[in-house]
Amino acid sequence: MKGLVFPLVALVALQILAMVWGIESDNLASPVSVLQAAWTAALDGTVLTAASHTLSTTLGGLAIGGTLGLLLGLLIGLVQPIDRLLTVSLEFLRPVPSVALIPIALLIFGLGYRMELVIVAKGCFWPILIMTRAAIRGIHPRLMEVSRMLKLGPVARIWKIFLPAALPRLFVGLRLAAGVGLTIAVTVEIATNPYGLGYAVMFAQQSFRPDLMFGMLLWIGIIGWSFNAFLLFAQNRLFGRAALVGARS
Amino acid sequence: MTAFDQASARKLKNSEQLFTGTEVDKGMKSAEPLITFRNVCLDFVGRRILQDINLSIGRQEFVCVVGPSGCGKTTTLRLIAGLLQPTSGEIVYNGKPVREPARDIAVVFQDYTNALLPWRTAAGNVSLALEAAGVPRTERPDRIAALLEKVGLGNRGEAYPSELSGGMQQRLQIARCLAQEPSVLLMDEPFGALDAMTRQHLQDQVLRIMDQSGTTVFFVTHDLEEAIYLADRVIALAPNPGRVAEVFDIKLPRPRNQLTTREDPEFLRLRRKIFDFVQESEA
Amino acid sequence: MNKNTTRTGKILWLLASLAFAAALIAGWQLIANMRLISPVFLPGPDRAFDAAVTGFESGELGGKLLLTVERMIYGWVLSSILGVALGTLIGSSALARSYFGPTLEFIRPLPASAIAPIAITLFGLSNASVLVLIAFGTIWPMLLATIHGFAAIHPRLTEVGHVLKLSRLETIWKIALPNAVPDILASMRLGLTISLILTIVGEMLMGLEGIGNSILLAARSFDAPNLYAGVILIGLIGLVSNLLLDMMDRRLLRWRPSR
Repeated sequence: MKGLVFPLVALVALQILAMVWGIESDNLASPVSVLQAAWTAALDGTVLTAASHTLSTTLGGLAIGGTLGLLLGLLIGLVQPIDRLLTVSLEFLRPVPSVALIPIALLIFGLGYRMELVIVAKGCFWPILIMTRAAIRGIHPRLMEVSRMLKLGPVARIWKIFLPAALPRLFVGLRLAAGVGLTIAVTVEIATNPYGLGYAVMFAQQSFRPDLMFGMLLWIGIIGWSFNAFLLFAQNRLFGRAALVGARS
Repeated sequence: MTAFDQASARKLKNSEQLFTGTEVDKGMKSAEPLITFRNVCLDFVGRRILQDINLSIGRQEFVCVVGPSGCGKTTTLRLIAGLLQPTSGEIVYNGKPVREPARDIAVVFQDYTNALLPWRTAAGNVSLALEAAGVPRTERPDRIAALLEKVGLGNRGEAYPSELSGGMQQRLQIARCLAQEPSVLLMDEPFGALDAMTRQHLQDQVLRIMDQSGTTVFFVTHDLEEAIYLADRVIALAPNPGRVAEVFDIKLPRPRNQLTTREDPEFLRLRRKIFDFVQESEA
Repeated sequence: MNKNTTRTGKILWLLASLAFAAALIAGWQLIANMRLISPVFLPGPDRAFDAAVTGFESGELGGKLLLTVERMIYGWVLSSILGVALGTLIGSSALARSYFGPTLEFIRPLPASAIAPIAITLFGLSNASVLVLIAFGTIWPMLLATIHGFAAIHPRLTEVGHVLKLSRLETIWKIALPNAVPDILASMRLGLTISLILTIVGEMLMGLEGIGNSILLAARSFDAPNLYAGVILIGLIGLVSNLLLDMMDRRLLRWRPSR
């Protein structure tokens, strides 16, 4: 409850300021006109078109990058020599920011869905890789011994012991990666790609519509927040406290 | 100071003590008590934790509090520390009611790991108390060195708490408390988490330091033998709600010795008596 | 097994790992030489390296690198100071935490780059604008970590402060802030990554001279060698700054039990 006081007071103060001094201009808009613009954008389909582009890129990138990250994570998590062999290469590749790859993707694919997809996939790859590796490493050695005593084959071992044991942490990795993916998608759209929510904001800015710009930012906030809240809810629902343990370590 | 001097000093103190409580009141009212509980009750979320506590603790007295878990031992200590306020009644320290922590009352917490600043060295942790008391920067190093020496950590001043054993960490906490130059030292099951050997060693160290400084000690423990070994007086609390059940005078000679004192027939008799009593009150 | 063999074992694995990385680069060279992928898209490492050397010899690339690193560090330092200061103000009072906390938590998951259009609106396409973008995009981890560090003080330490009768300022300076240091350092690591990202985004968006802008221009003019050289340099900025932070961590967190 107390948490709502500050934003509400700030918004009302801004609105009063806007009405008394008339700060409406090419740069600023009052809260009420921002809400109006956000509402109009929702009705005329702008939000829907933009959001579906951004979200589908996010999910697509998550699927591609996540799968690759999961596979490599399982490999280096289960086979220690490969992990050691890859250390230097991975440590050198990891600090390359996703946005630095925008020009390369632009060169190869041009503007559009595919270049954004590739960069989002690259961004989702790392959190999943790291969490998968940590999840495998975090499995109690007793479970390894159990699987050996039961004489399980390698496939049964992965399928019946490792994946279920690692699942809560894997989901934490998935949640983190989804957040990263959405952020990167919006960033790519703001920086270069003329599609989606990020571009909608930039377009509003360039056409001197501060009300629409803040309105679209509001939509990005709402969509990002609901996306995050949904994944958090799913995580708690599916794994409860087990996932909490994974997130902390 | 020789052992004999220490012993006679302690005896002198004993004779000055004021005994109130239910069992004895010898009327040796040579000095006002240092700490007095007057009809202290404490409620916590609708539950009565302490019921009508009346207690007096004399200057330089060593009082141990025993009792089953949940009888309010630690709560009593926190009331003296000023970390808690009673629901009714009052705690009087040096003639004034306790409303907040006082700088000359030091607390040795049970969980030493949490009570030390992990980012400061041993010397830095002792320094914290000196800083709080406004001791000038130039005077601190000498006093820190002396305090660490006193608790047997003379060569570990630059070590961080995480590099010290449990016993060393607890001694460090004691050193920080001594830096406050306290009139009263409140100890909350200080040796509860330590192994038997370390515990005995620290018991003797505390007795020696108290003899030298003449500090009043209020010592909470669940170990009856430890209580008898250390105390001038053992207060037994009973639970639900916490109240003073019995007070035992310990007239074992000082200085005490881990072997001879514990074999003393009087020690064994007291142990039996208090043990039976606690058993009974718990049943 | 004694200590010596495990140490030599570690060194051997490190060498093997380096050799593997070298093999990857050799594989890249091979693919480029065999023209499995068009050289327009994928130049060999030799051509990227040549482009970097030429760039540095002319002094142009070094200048751009310096500009980018400067922006990244200015923005990061600014946001760290602002974040810790603001976090201290909010974090040291439970009341302030309850009023501002939820709003901050709401803003936290939003894309930091979303501040870019606001910065451009208010400050135009300028250096100041990039700095605002970096500082306000990067501030969140530090701000929230400081608030969290204050909220997460062990009650026993608070009591130690009470018993010693420390003043409010002393408690903040001697107990609360040091207690928050591990959280703050971890957030500054994240902050540096975000700062580098926003520096590049900012340079691209605002057309300011720097590596970020130069790789975008290289891509638009199909100058693959310079593009790859720039991307590798950006990766190196990230790598080196992370190593420097590692050193800082080790120095500042000596007191932590060794992991």
